[in-house]
Amino acid sequence: MKPKVAFFDFASCEGCQLQVVNLEEKILDLVDIVEVVSFREAMKEHSDGYDIAFIEGSIMRPMDEERLKKIRSHAKLLVALGACACIGGVNKLRNKWPVADVKAEVYGTAALDGNPYFDVLPTRAVDEVVAVDAHVPGCPINRNEFAKTVTSLAFGRKPRLPNYPVCVECKKNENVCLFERGQFCLGPITRAGCNSICPTNGEGCDGCRGFLEDLRVNAMKDVLRRHNVSMDQMLKRFNLYNYRREGY
Amino acid sequence: MKTVHPDGWKAFVDRLIAEPGLDVIGVKEKGSRFVFAPLESANELRLDYDVTVLPPKKELLPPNEDLLLFDISKPFDVLAAHDEQKKVLIGVHPYDLIAINMMDEIYLGAHVDDHYEVRRRNTIIIASDIINIPQKAFCGSLGTHVVEKGYDLLVTQLDDRYVVEEGTPAGAELLAKFADAKESSRYDIERVRKLREDLPSRYQRQLHVDKYKWSEILEENYAHPIWDENARKCLTCGTCTLVCPTCVCYDVHDEVELDLERGKRTRTWDGCLLKEFTLVGSGEIFRETPTNRYRHRYYRKGMYLPMRYGFVACVGCGRCATQCLADIADPLEVMNVLASSSMEDKKKLPIPEVKVHGVKQELLVPKAANILYKEPMSDIDTLYRIALDSGEALGHRPGQFIELSIFGIGEAPISISSSPGSGPEFELLVRKIGDVTSKLDTLAIGDKVGIRGPFGNGFNVEALKGRNLLYIGGGCGLAPLRSLINYTLENRSEYKDITILYGCKDPTALLFKNDLESWGRMDGVDYKVTVDGCKSGDCWQGNVGVITTLIPGVDIDPETTMAIVVGPPVMYKYVIRELKQKGLPDENIIVSLERRMKCGVGKCGHCQINGVYVCLEGPVFNYADIKELPEAF
Amino acid sequence: MARAIDIHVEHLTRVEGHGDIFFNANEGKVEKVQWHVTEAPRFFEAMVRGKSYVHLQPITSRICGICSIGHSLASLKATEAALGVEVSEETVLLRRLALHGENLQSHILHIGYLVVPDLFGVGSVFPLVGTHGDAVVKIVGLHRLANQMSDLVCGRTTHPITLRLGGFSKVPTAKELADLKARLEAAKPVIAEVAGLLASVKGNLPQFERETEYIALVDEKLYALYDGDIGSSDTGVHPVSYYRSITNEYVVGQSTAKFTKHVRDSYFVGALARFNLNESKLNDFGRETAQVLGLKAPVHNPFMNTYAQMVEVADSVEDSIAIIDELIDRGVKGERAKVEPRAGRGIAAVEVPRGILFHDYTIDSIGNCTKANCIIPTNQNHANIQKDMEALAPGLVERPEKEIELTLEMLVRAYDPCISCSTHYVSVHFV
Repeated sequence: MKPKVAFFDFASCEGCQLQVVNLEEKILDLVDIVEVVSFREAMKEHSDGYDIAFIEGSIMRPMDEERLKKIRSHAKLLVALGACACIGGVNKLRNKWPVADVKAEVYGTAALDGNPYFDVLPTRAVDEVVAVDAHVPGCPINRNEFAKTVTSLAFGRKPRLPNYPVCVECKKNENVCLFERGQFCLGPITRAGCNSICPTNGEGCDGCRGFLEDLRVNAMKDVLRRHNVSMDQMLKRFNLYNYRREGY
Repeated sequence: MKTVHPDGWKAFVDRLIAEPGLDVIGVKEKGSRFVFAPLESANELRLDYDVTVLPPKKELLPPNEDLLLFDISKPFDVLAAHDEQKKVLIGVHPYDLIAINMMDEIYLGAHVDDHYEVRRRNTIIIASDIINIPQKAFCGSLGTHVVEKGYDLLVTQLDDRYVVEEGTPAGAELLAKFADAKESSRYDIERVRKLREDLPSRYQRQLHVDKYKWSEILEENYAHPIWDENARKCLTCGTCTLVCPTCVCYDVHDEVELDLERGKRTRTWDGCLLKEFTLVGSGEIFRETPTNRYRHRYYRKGMYLPMRYGFVACVGCGRCATQCLADIADPLEVMNVLASSSMEDKKKLPIPEVKVHGVKQELLVPKAANILYKEPMSDIDTLYRIALDSGEALGHRPGQFIELSIFGIGEAPISISSSPGSGPEFELLVRKIGDVTSKLDTLAIGDKVGIRGPFGNGFNVEALKGRNLLYIGGGCGLAPLRSLINYTLENRSEYKDITILYGCKDPTALLFKNDLESWGRMDGVDYKVTVDGCKSGDCWQGNVGVITTLIPGVDIDPETTMAIVVGPPVMYKYVIRELKQKGLPDENIIVSLERRMKCGVGKCGHCQINGVYVCLEGPVFNYADIKELPEAF
Repeated sequence: MARAIDIHVEHLTRVEGHGDIFFNANEGKVEKVQWHVTEAPRFFEAMVRGKSYVHLQPITSRICGICSIGHSLASLKATEAALGVEVSEETVLLRRLALHGENLQSHILHIGYLVVPDLFGVGSVFPLVGTHGDAVVKIVGLHRLANQMSDLVCGRTTHPITLRLGGFSKVPTAKELADLKARLEAAKPVIAEVAGLLASVKGNLPQFERETEYIALVDEKLYALYDGDIGSSDTGVHPVSYYRSITNEYVVGQSTAKFTKHVRDSYFVGALARFNLNESKLNDFGRETAQVLGLKAPVHNPFMNTYAQMVEVADSVEDSIAIIDELIDRGVKGERAKVEPRAGRGIAAVEVPRGILFHDYTIDSIGNCTKANCIIPTNQNHANIQKDMEALAPGLVERPEKEIELTLEMLVRAYDPCISCSTHYVSVHFV
């Protein structure tokens, strides 16, 4: 019996769902092993009878929270797709300021109180609102990792994410370390699984897959200081995707 | 020795490149550094390089490699994936070649790794003498700046010519076929000798201690503060092990395509610095702290591998020292500090001598086996009776284990629960804990699984003859113990008194109830059982209390009794303490330990307890042999 | 007819982002027809406040998953303008190539996955696998090629990695470019086939026309995508710095995205606008394809936006081949201009698949952004969508409800709206 699968998006750029579409020919394999009953971006049909719900995006408003909770109650398994859903991603950058301040900046004095579309709370990741069964991290997700997640779920086993840093993949790709080239990189404290795509393309890791659970942050700060990275630069980089991860 | 002129050398390399069916991999530039990569023309080759980012080990043991290809839409369909591509490696420095020679010993030794063997056999190595030296290297201090064997050809790039030494007939053939080479003059030979002689003094850094003394120094410094100090700065990123020419540990994964039919088993480099290197299905991590992991690497290179193979597994290339962001990976610095310290506390970390059991089959390809019988024993434990499709017996000894494969999910090490007996059937008691065991739980009689093995050092049934036997089993530790118990019962006359103590969590967790009953009824067998706790209404009339509560009441003669203890890791300390109180000498205590195992033959590195491989010297150990190992209990 | 029609399409499918359509009619008269943008606002202006100039591109890239290359380029151009950085010709060539990759990927996605199902009366592309398998495979193949192109030039399509201030962090080799060129050449007959297929079902689209103002980048020589001045079908050519006088945003309660207007009630941006203003600059393959599709500027039927995209697919492939030839000829060196922080303001415009995009940054002397404004193409189209609906609605009132619903949906889809983007502009200006 093919598991029924549905895709939902909240506050996001929809880039993660695009990666699912970007499976190209493999998407035909995908729809062979699961039944896609709802995928707003690609199809008109919709059904509330799904086993696995994929969620992209962060939760911003009470109406979003309600919709998410409804989805959680329908789904047997819920998977968070992408940085915005998994850790808040760039959506959390605005949490630095109070909501009223941010609304005023965008919409000025327009009378928006009471309008549910504008009723905004601090950004939350999906697992800050409902229980999540699996995460596919990254900004955007890596479509191979997505495919592996789907095959794991189809097998009835819990998908496992790497618990080691990006450095492992970077070294296997024989990249010359960016620190050697005068740049800095959050690879040593970021979860692998992206095949070190940014360092391979000449740019330091920004931590979009989320920092490791076992975060060697003090050792990392030492390394950055020794490479003349200022505190300000460090914090700005840490906070891009992992806002307040360590309470800073 | 032969001499080739620069144009002739270029022509030689270009001819190799043009040769169909031959991949030519040489040292070329990558940004500001050098790497081994496919050459498109001889112009790219840079024999004057100082060091490559990754060592040439990547050509023989790739970072990612397909081991098996399988099709899970069929009951059992698997093929080994071998890389038969013919290759020439040009530019391997002596230290890297010495490391390859070490890797050969590990991968082509007692158990031959077929994938490595095929690749090694199809690779011709043209080594080259060192011209430029990277800042952190210290080959001169280790004698690894020159090499005597392992190369097919060894080329020395001089200012105006190339001198090539033939190492093997294959190398000589290659040179004859593709190059214009003449006998070297005495002058050329002298220039090469001088170049090599001058090398040691050109190294900027010197070791203050001979490498053959490393073992001794490490013995004295297990508790040195440097381990903690450096580990605090350690990112546990694994860089040091990944760039090291002598690091050869690997992990194994199964992957399945989205069509849920085709899949493969791959192996990928792994490193002992990574947190989950020693993770087992139950979630336990056996080398948890960064300090232990950081220290382990030095001990493996400087003590364990030398003890096992006779070589010090550091070749002074300086890669780890250069690429470690925290700047704590430099073996030269660490050994120099330890050499000058005066900690007197000696810690011997021995590796027991064990007879190696050769494995008769292709090392990594599982054999098809049928599930003949399946019986749940508790909520989470199931007994399986299995036989190889080929009809042959497993040929195991009590205490050995097999690796059970379910393609697409993975492989798990499982102890054999039945005594060897005769015939092809054998029994496994499987606890549903991780991915493989959970999937196995969903299989039915008639389904197929893959079996590799048997592996490991089993119980020494010869040494037990004529002795009194005291069996102590905790929880699912009874599973491997049973294979020995039943063997000794089948050969009852060879053994004296037999006492069996068994303890588990609660009455519902009792395993092998039929056996327990028959042991209880047997003459000449003293059987006692206990449960840790008992929910009321469980109809349990027997002992309540942990297994150690049974030991004081047992009457044994310590000199002639062998205690065989198997149980969860936490149990050993307490049981052994009770046994010592009864006066049992250390060498009369036998244990069986578990660790993470991926290969079963001492290559993947996961099961190490200090220098000991649980899959080779164990899982059965004599307590006297391992009691000093800090990582054992 | 005393019929009461009450249609509410919640969360329109097969568009990027969230929008609703309302249609109420009674007794043959339209009472309300509305395009509601309900996407959660993400407040990107808050995200870039105080951020370093080096982070503006990675952050604004996340405005949209489909046109992240376009956002990145607009952001880089604006930052470089503010900091007084000049990039090399090679960088411009590679950036134009990057933009073509995005255009191809986005247009093919829109045409093949989002619109074609409507033309064949099905809910999504999936059932077409059974009935028109060959065509689907070809479309998927084109989409894959576009992604491979972006992978090569940008590291990846969504949230590009190599597009950076002053140049590229990694450039393709001549061999890789030659390889790509071969694949682009091989794609041309496939594109011609798909264009033929589209031409054959052109009759399934409504013959609806409403003349409006068309705004796009224009250039003297090229079909403008990466660089140019602002062109208007009504008022001629204007410098990019003039953009605010054109966009004039205002807040509308029904929408979390603002609306815009210039000299009329609304204006149109996107492939159709570009086609109307740049038709003479099409290359041969683009022109041929326009002929096959029966398009001749000016086109006033918004449903033809999709067909204009098909023309651009052809034009982009041909132009990409020409750019690759030039790059191979010059040799790709990887030139990166030096970038130092300084106070300044930069305004940039780039054509992304959905239309003209503006990024406007003010940066202080230590390199932090103090003010930013992004005007997204889709939010420039919202007013036009609303006006089109209002003009289209009376003609639909006699039709069956399902047909009214589908036609209105198809209208919105034709614009290829990127709704998430349009609610994420970084804007502080009001009318």
